[in-house]
Amino acid sequence: MGYIEYSIRTIMDLNFRQNIVRNIKLQSFLVLSVVLFLIKIFFVLPDTFTFKFISELVVILAVISLNFYLLDLMTDKSPNAISLVINIGILDAVIFFLMNFSSSLVNLLLGSSADSSNFLYRLISFIYSYLIIISISFIFLSFRELYFLKRGKRVTTYFNTMTAFFVLFLLSTVLNDFKSLSYIKDTFYVISILLIAINSAKISWIAFLSKRDKIKTLLLSVVIEILFVADLIGSSGTNFHSRIFINFSPALNEFLQLLMIYGIIYFGVLFFTTLFHIPTAEAFDRKQKEVSSLQYFSKLITQVLDFNDLTTTITEISLSASGANSAWIITEGEKEFDTIAIKNIGFVDAKTLTEYILEKIKDVKIKSTSIFNLKDFEKKENIAEKFSSVSITPLKSHNYLRGFLVTAKKEGLGYDEEDIRAIDTFCDYASVSIENSRLLEESIEKERLEKELDLARQIQRKIIPAKNPESKRLDISSIFIPAFEVGGDYYDFFEISESKMAFVIADVSGKGISAAFIMAEIKGIFESLSKTIESPKEILIKANQILKGILDNKNFVSAAYGLFDFTKKTLMLARAGHCPILLLRNNEYVDIRPSGLGLGLDYGNRFRETLEEVTMDLHENDTFVLYTDGVSEAKNAEMEDFGERHFRKILLNNANKESSEISNSVIKEISLFSRNNQQYDDITLVILKWKKENKIDGEKEWQNSTPRLKTTVK
Amino acid sequence: MAEFNTSVKDHGEISTVYLEGYLDAHTAPNLEETFSKLINNGKYKIVANFKDLAYISSAGLGVFMAFIEKVRENDGDIKLSAMNDKVYNIFDLLGFPLLYEIFKTEDEAIKKFDETK
Repeated sequence: MGYIEYSIRTIMDLNFRQNIVRNIKLQSFLVLSVVLFLIKIFFVLPDTFTFKFISELVVILAVISLNFYLLDLMTDKSPNAISLVINIGILDAVIFFLMNFSSSLVNLLLGSSADSSNFLYRLISFIYSYLIIISISFIFLSFRELYFLKRGKRVTTYFNTMTAFFVLFLLSTVLNDFKSLSYIKDTFYVISILLIAINSAKISWIAFLSKRDKIKTLLLSVVIEILFVADLIGSSGTNFHSRIFINFSPALNEFLQLLMIYGIIYFGVLFFTTLFHIPTAEAFDRKQKEVSSLQYFSKLITQVLDFNDLTTTITEISLSASGANSAWIITEGEKEFDTIAIKNIGFVDAKTLTEYILEKIKDVKIKSTSIFNLKDFEKKENIAEKFSSVSITPLKSHNYLRGFLVTAKKEGLGYDEEDIRAIDTFCDYASVSIENSRLLEESIEKERLEKELDLARQIQRKIIPAKNPESKRLDISSIFIPAFEVGGDYYDFFEISESKMAFVIADVSGKGISAAFIMAEIKGIFESLSKTIESPKEILIKANQILKGILDNKNFVSAAYGLFDFTKKTLMLARAGHCPILLLRNNEYVDIRPSGLGLGLDYGNRFRETLEEVTMDLHENDTFVLYTDGVSEAKNAEMEDFGERHFRKILLNNANKESSEISNSVIKEISLFSRNNQQYDDITLVILKWKKENKIDGEKEWQNSTPRLKTTVK
Repeated sequence: MAEFNTSVKDHGEISTVYLEGYLDAHTAPNLEETFSKLINNGKYKIVANFKDLAYISSAGLGVFMAFIEKVRENDGDIKLSAMNDKVYNIFDLLGFPLLYEIFKTEDEAIKKFDETK
């Protein structure tokens, strides 16, 4: 904040100071003018050297301050050579008219009383002189602008030296009365002329004009040259002008003449320079056009991001660069090739020509623009326009061929070296911008995907229970680690009644947002079914029926559903294609794997017929492990699986610990194992441990140590 | 990450699709395309050879589900063969052996097609 305020204040200060400086210049000019006005009109000064000198000094100072003021006004705008030339011409003409027609005007107004003793005459003389002063000041400053046009900064000294000598020359005219000192004035005069000649010698801005402007300049310079000569003659004779102006200030008349000489020299040089430039004007124009379109193109690279807009612009520009009649771009499409960004040619015609050229370059790898004559093209008659030849240029980036730019010229036109070079240059730029646009699209797509996955993870987080249910008989722990690309894991607990609790674990096939949506559906299905149906088998059958309308044919869901009965001390379980439920009992593990198809694999009777439901009695410290394949398929850097065996071994080693400790040790091992690789799938691990009942149960249970399982253990 | 490739060999009207590498959610579209091409060309008798398949994810299994209906409607089938134990286990867990015929070798699968002709 502080910094910004400070900079704003500095900028304001700067503007303010500039204005003050400018005002001082204007004010000093005005003050000097008033003094001059008083001297020239009210006091007729004695004709002595001192008074003359003072008068001349005031005039010169006034002119200098006017020039400084005008200089500020002019440098605010960026100059244009032609308009400066025209400017000089107009001012020159103004001077011409003032010189030649003011005498008759004054005579008309004042009649015979045109004499310096007449007040009105003096007033008119003053105004006349001031008009001339302003005109010559403008001319001088326009010359200055012209001089600086298209030049480096170092050359300021030449012009400033010349200006200094002008001033010295002006001052020295005061010495006119002393004949013996005239050599001083002459010296300054000669040096000034010399400097004028030097400064007029090289007019570099002509080169940058278009052919039309050059011709315009040529004609203008002739007219202005004549005006300058006329004005020079007018100012050196004895006529009305010289009477008034020399009377006003002899120094200024000398300056006027000097400026006219400058004009004559400058426009003389300008005329000849322009004349010599005209033959090469066309080539220069072309180069100029090329450069400006190149500049335009490099701008495009940063501006046009949309692929379609970009290709259209590329063909448009290649038309103007090569002077071709039609252009289009070939890109590799899904099947063969696509013709896009077609300009000035029908789609079918472009396609026909494309086929022809691609056939021609099939066996040769073209590196730059190639031209093909259409003389032998048999389908030429089918094409609406009569084309004589086509050019084709590869669009490459990072050594990959991205497509081709094709241009076509009508009969009577051909491609010359310049055209080919122009197309080549354009295609270099075009390739870069196409690549940029492609990369941008890719990164947008990537960002979109990441946002989508973010959303999927949010959905998943809301679907999975925030905390484990509290239960008197079950010690429950759960760990869920989502993969970056949401794997579709889901688990849940349902407290059916005081004495019954159900759980479900499921894994939706596929990944990302679609998997997350199916998960949400699954949650809804099991949540509602668990309220009305107890049998895990019936619930899975019902769920399968409902999923028929939800899953498409390549999606399916593996699931396992179980129901704990705390009073009967049993677990009922059914499995629909899910990983087996592991039971840790007496330092052994058992895979509980009743048969059952995954949900969504079959909607007919087969699902019902093959689905098996098991019921098992619960023993104290029975530990049930629910998991998804993310656990056993966690991968290390060598892409090896963590493995079912490894997993079971860790479980057994920790079987006597609390459920949360068991799951933590498994997860610890998994993260150690896969520390050098990313996680590809969700990891879900739920452990349910049948706790000791508060009141001591009979020893009966302990004796019955063999699990009665109706399972197929492989 | 991992690579996945398919190649197809024709034995008369039976086509064998050789699967190689890792078949997961990212590479499944590759197999989908292979099956689509076969079916578009009227090849409905397909044997999938899993000999060089290292891994299959649920999305990979989904590809087989996606085409089986269309193939069977046209008196064809997709028979699976030459799976390693790990891959077989994944199919087995989901109950695929109830839905698909799975053979030890490609030849057995082809023979089965020939028998039922």
